[in-house]
Amino acid sequence: MNIRISIRRVDPDKGGEPQWTDYEVPADERTTVLESLMYIYENTDPTLAFRFGCRFDKCGLCAVEVNGRPKMACFTEVEEGMKIGPLRGMPVVRDLVIDRAAYFEALRGLEIYIPEQGDRSTPQVIRQSEAHKKLLSCVECLACNATCPNYDFSKNPLSGPYVFVKLAQLHFDPRNTVDRRAQARELGVQSCAECRKCTCIHGINIRKQAIEVLTAQ
Amino acid sequence: MATDVRKADVLVIGAGGAGVMAAVEAARAGAGVILLSKEPVGYGDTRIALGAMSTSPDTAAGDSEDAFVEDMIRGGEYLNDPRLVRALVADAMDATLTLEGFGHVFLRNREGVLTRMEVPPGGHRASRVISSPWLGVSMCHALRSAAARADIEVLEETVCSELLVEDGEVVGAAALRTMTGEPIALLAKSTVVAAGGAGSLYYPHTDCMPAVVGDSFGLGLRAGAELVDMEQVQFLPFGITHPPALLGIPCGEPVVAGPFGRLLNNRGEVVLENIMPMTRAQVARVIVEEIRKGGGTEHGGLLLDLAPNLKSREGEFFVAMLKKFAGPFLEGARKAYGREAAEFRVPWDVLPTAHYNMGGIRTDEWCRSRVPGLYACGQAQGGVMGGNRLGSTSLTEIFVFGKRAGRTAAEEARERGRADQGAACEALDRLRSLRGSRGSRRPVELKRRLQGLMWEKAGPLRDGQGLEKALDGIGAIREGAKNLRITDLSRCNQEILDAIELPHMLATAEAIVVSAQERRESRGAHVRSDFPGRDEEGPVQNILVEMRDGRCICRRREAGK
Repeated sequence: MNIRISIRRVDPDKGGEPQWTDYEVPADERTTVLESLMYIYENTDPTLAFRFGCRFDKCGLCAVEVNGRPKMACFTEVEEGMKIGPLRGMPVVRDLVIDRAAYFEALRGLEIYIPEQGDRSTPQVIRQSEAHKKLLSCVECLACNATCPNYDFSKNPLSGPYVFVKLAQLHFDPRNTVDRRAQARELGVQSCAECRKCTCIHGINIRKQAIEVLTAQ
Repeated sequence: MATDVRKADVLVIGAGGAGVMAAVEAARAGAGVILLSKEPVGYGDTRIALGAMSTSPDTAAGDSEDAFVEDMIRGGEYLNDPRLVRALVADAMDATLTLEGFGHVFLRNREGVLTRMEVPPGGHRASRVISSPWLGVSMCHALRSAAARADIEVLEETVCSELLVEDGEVVGAAALRTMTGEPIALLAKSTVVAAGGAGSLYYPHTDCMPAVVGDSFGLGLRAGAELVDMEQVQFLPFGITHPPALLGIPCGEPVVAGPFGRLLNNRGEVVLENIMPMTRAQVARVIVEEIRKGGGTEHGGLLLDLAPNLKSREGEFFVAMLKKFAGPFLEGARKAYGREAAEFRVPWDVLPTAHYNMGGIRTDEWCRSRVPGLYACGQAQGGVMGGNRLGSTSLTEIFVFGKRAGRTAAEEARERGRADQGAACEALDRLRSLRGSRGSRRPVELKRRLQGLMWEKAGPLRDGQGLEKALDGIGAIREGAKNLRITDLSRCNQEILDAIELPHMLATAEAIVVSAQERRESRGAHVRSDFPGRDEEGPVQNILVEMRDGRCICRRREAGK
């Protein structure tokens, strides 16, 4: 059976507004959005740009917006009339591909690493909290930023929830030496404390596990 | 427009575990480093690794370095280079500590002490295994942090089309920034290839990342390096067969069958029992043989029936273990076949899936290839795993040899000069000529044909006739690749990326096929229906491949020396 889906296309080199383009793709009940994108690229439109990786929801590369909500293309079943676009708020390279490098470059000033641990011959004793482990499950799909009502990379690249998940991750690392709460305050985490709109499609409770941790005194 | 030319002491190609480790280590040794990554940093196969890694043997528990070395070489069916195996074992703890210094934390006991898991993976006589939370992703957080912390230049989303060779030495590389479409020349005194294996040469019959198509081997071969035992491609015996979106996703290795699991064909007949102690290759062989005899299901696999495990105490114990340690495999089964299947009450439809290349660029234990200026580490490198890789050793491999490659490349860069920009002219012209090519064949169509051919003719079960056909097929695809049609977009043009990968894939495919022809026996992961046993006459031999006039040529050498 064939269905029609609509994809938001844009090429900044060519200027102009993004355009919604319709495509017909074969689909049965378990066909995924990713399979449909691959079908289009391989059979009907060689110019379609999108990104994917493991095909099993593990790597975080194929996040897109489906009918206005962020989803992993590889784990979302395609349906008649679906509208597929890039994650909102993020800079777009072309079509569905967001500029991940520009995003992570913007994070550089935050020292998102632990200090050098020096040469050692035996492992350190490290008591790792469950909260830290849970935050490490973040696959960096960046879908959370697209669920934030205020996020807009072009205005302030560091205002979305991802950066707070990253800072909370580092906050829980016993080897961390930077005041991650102070960094979060400077980035305006207080204004997130009242808002409950952002979500993680991979099961991290951003509010409890990141925002509340970073706003605690 | 002026060409983007960058200069470094050490250029590292590939930014999974091996590449990041090499780049950071080279910078620590004082070198100016550029790290190239086709995807963002940390998005190779390391990202989707299961996260279990062998560290040093626990001597207090009676284990020893010698025992670990012996296990790897017996498991590798005597094709391993013993110097490389000894290096891996000797440096395993050092690599563990370095990775933790990047920000990783391996799982510890309640007191915060690093502990090895109780049960060793197959082929290990003692457990050396430590594990990570959440598969490879947690390691990749640490890799990305380390790349940000180190004094190195990182070029993400940059794919290498060829190495630059001058007077028989590698002097850098030509590459394309995939997001903008701009070519870039990299001039370096030492170049480390760490671009992973070639699992996706078998796509969709693979559990590897799609970018891992053999760049390392193609780059190495065309620059004059020698590859070793390329026929040794490891297939996990149990991958998902349907729905098509999940084809190739892994759902287990032999141990997952448990004491009483069995394989059934489409008539419900038992094809195989007592699966647990068998190697990955032995089980994969039985599955493919039965399917060729017509025993396959409508989805093209066999049925893995785990239900008999539920009927005994021993089996119940096993099921509990599996739920604890094989989560990702059960997740695959649940997603594809439903909850009942994940509870073992419904059989799983399974087919082997390409997982890892044991073969690769031949190096010494300090990662030097035979070409001056060229080093290799990680899955790019051959000789460490021989004919069969034991579970949990590939993560050790990438970090141990990543570190060694970085250090050697930095030290030896001090003794070399740097080529000038002219060395890159022709390679850059070749890159520029791709965009807007007006031939008739799409690169992706040729990629898919090659991938299908490799699965059919050079997969888990091979024979002389099929390999001959594979070679003919590769030749035909190579002809097609001279006549490409590519759209003229600059930004994020997937067709240009496909066109850059295609020659790497063709070279890798040819190396695998000619090595498989040359090895007229079944050994390790290489199984031939026309030579079903090991060749027990004469010494065990490595198959070496090099490229001459654009073709892969084999020779042999005695293994283990």
